[in-house]
Amino acid sequence: MSISVATHPDRPRSGPPLWRRLHLNPPLVAGAVLLTVLLLSAIAAPLLATAGPMDIDLRAVRQAPSAAHWFGTDAVGRDLFSRVLYGGQVSLLVAGLGMMGSLSFGTLMGMLGAFGANWVRPIIDRAIDIQLAFPYVLLAIAITSAVKPSTPVLVLLMVLAAWAGAARVVRAIALQERGKDYVKAADVLGVSRLRIALLHVFPTVLPSLMVLAAMQMAAMIVFEATLSFLGMGVQPPTPSWGGIMLDGKNYITSSWWLTALPGLAIVLTSLSLVLIGDGLQARTDALRSREGDQ
Amino acid sequence: MRSFVLRRILQSVIIVVAIAVTVFIVLRLSAGDPARIRAPVFARPDVIEQYRRDFGIDRPLFEQLLTFLGSAVRGDFGQSFRFQAPVTDLIMVALPKTLLLAGVSLLLSLSIAVVLGSLAALKPRSGWAWMSSALAAFGQSAPVFWSGAVLVLVFAVGLRWLPSGGFSGFASLILPAIAVTLSILPTQLRVLRTSMEAVLQQEYIKTAKAFGLNQNRIIFVYALKNACLPLLTVIGVDVGYLLGGVIVAEVVFAFPGIGELALVALNARDYPLIQGITIVTAATFVIVNLLIDLLYVKVDPRIRLERT
Repeated sequence: MSISVATHPDRPRSGPPLWRRLHLNPPLVAGAVLLTVLLLSAIAAPLLATAGPMDIDLRAVRQAPSAAHWFGTDAVGRDLFSRVLYGGQVSLLVAGLGMMGSLSFGTLMGMLGAFGANWVRPIIDRAIDIQLAFPYVLLAIAITSAVKPSTPVLVLLMVLAAWAGAARVVRAIALQERGKDYVKAADVLGVSRLRIALLHVFPTVLPSLMVLAAMQMAAMIVFEATLSFLGMGVQPPTPSWGGIMLDGKNYITSSWWLTALPGLAIVLTSLSLVLIGDGLQARTDALRSREGDQ
Repeated sequence: MRSFVLRRILQSVIIVVAIAVTVFIVLRLSAGDPARIRAPVFARPDVIEQYRRDFGIDRPLFEQLLTFLGSAVRGDFGQSFRFQAPVTDLIMVALPKTLLLAGVSLLLSLSIAVVLGSLAALKPRSGWAWMSSALAAFGQSAPVFWSGAVLVLVFAVGLRWLPSGGFSGFASLILPAIAVTLSILPTQLRVLRTSMEAVLQQEYIKTAKAFGLNQNRIIFVYALKNACLPLLTVIGVDVGYLLGGVIVAEVVFAFPGIGELALVALNARDYPLIQGITIVTAATFVIVNLLIDLLYVKVDPRIRLERT
């Protein structure tokens, strides 16, 4: 959208400064800063960690947070702060893969739901309905009872659980766009349906797709954590945020830090993504209404 | 109208059957031989063969499927491996508790969404609006099991006001219901706020204001009626999410519902139980969705006209 503003014919030579042209808003900036800090600390885990994530120290079992162990230690004396940092690498990577997978598949299905052959569309409609109505945790339980849980299975589960949400949004926008005059005009001019879908309608989906990407990523962080917490996700000893909390589950009454602190990492990460999503949505809305005024 | 209802009911039945068949086939094909799981580890081959005959898995898959569907229709999902009891009985004990927790959470979340969402739409620069945004963002970010754990830490371990888990009456419902509510509230809050903002812009509200009608009456009667329609759709869509949250909350709070049962079944590789739970829960969803669809038609005459 900022491109259309930038190439506007009336644009004065020296426009407003770059940061103003990006149309940033407070939630977007706050979310982006928070996410950057979290991403950097996950990437720089080897530099920041005060101990190895799997270093067992049986002389320092379940110690409360202190100067030596900022987040305390777990049931076998592993440094929780280091585990949370390394767990971030795993959780963010898995969630990222799940987000990209579910978004790609969801977009494909959504576009098919709007532009597919007449017999394809109702099938996709129903599939979206069923998928949205079906509880993902139950789906995960059914599948992991058949296939041994592992990280690839977890990513597959994420895609299965989240594609419908993306598909519904993409389908709704594409259908709305399809009814507009320019699409009808292209149709009358003999442009093929595939070409209309890809070159004319798909670009209008993109801003919403960016919002969806942020929101889905937040959802996937929570999803990874939930399934790993239930023992159906990333398998020990690999640290992931949900897995770390599962380790601490049995000590919840005596060692609060084992569940509360890793959870804080999850909450902050998805909060940053939700803020980015909200900010992007507000930005898209603002730019749209401005276009409408012109 | 009647044809619409009939068509929706038929669709629902087809969906349930499709889910049942899928669950059956996936479990049979990938889970391995139930007789080997059920039988003692060092059982003699003829003992295992006996188990096979008992489960009926010596017959062709298609015949097994028909037998399974036939008894499922009569409410018989076989015997649980783990509990040595009919799957249906186990589900019938657990399901009402799950539905109770889901119902209480939904009611709580809807009440908060309606009140807070309306206030936020009415006064976009007030503390209410800020609170509703903050609550939406937080609820969306915090996993049910984490907010559940924190609630336990604060109210059960720290303050000792409420039980930390199990099921012993109404008090046991409070913490799990709050945890679930936090997770389903954000969507409802956002949707109600947006639709309320849109409704407040409409001519009929302006007219009502111009006529000097009571402000509260305008908002909570005239505006809310229309603003609630999108909320109804969201509930339908979110039923899966709601029950997902309830299942997780059950695990955290050791609440003896269907989710706890499912996880026990999963860990014990209790296939008949998993099969039964999946199908019964899926059927519950489909029925709830059906009811919401029909309710929607009842509430919004425009849809009725469109479809008949």
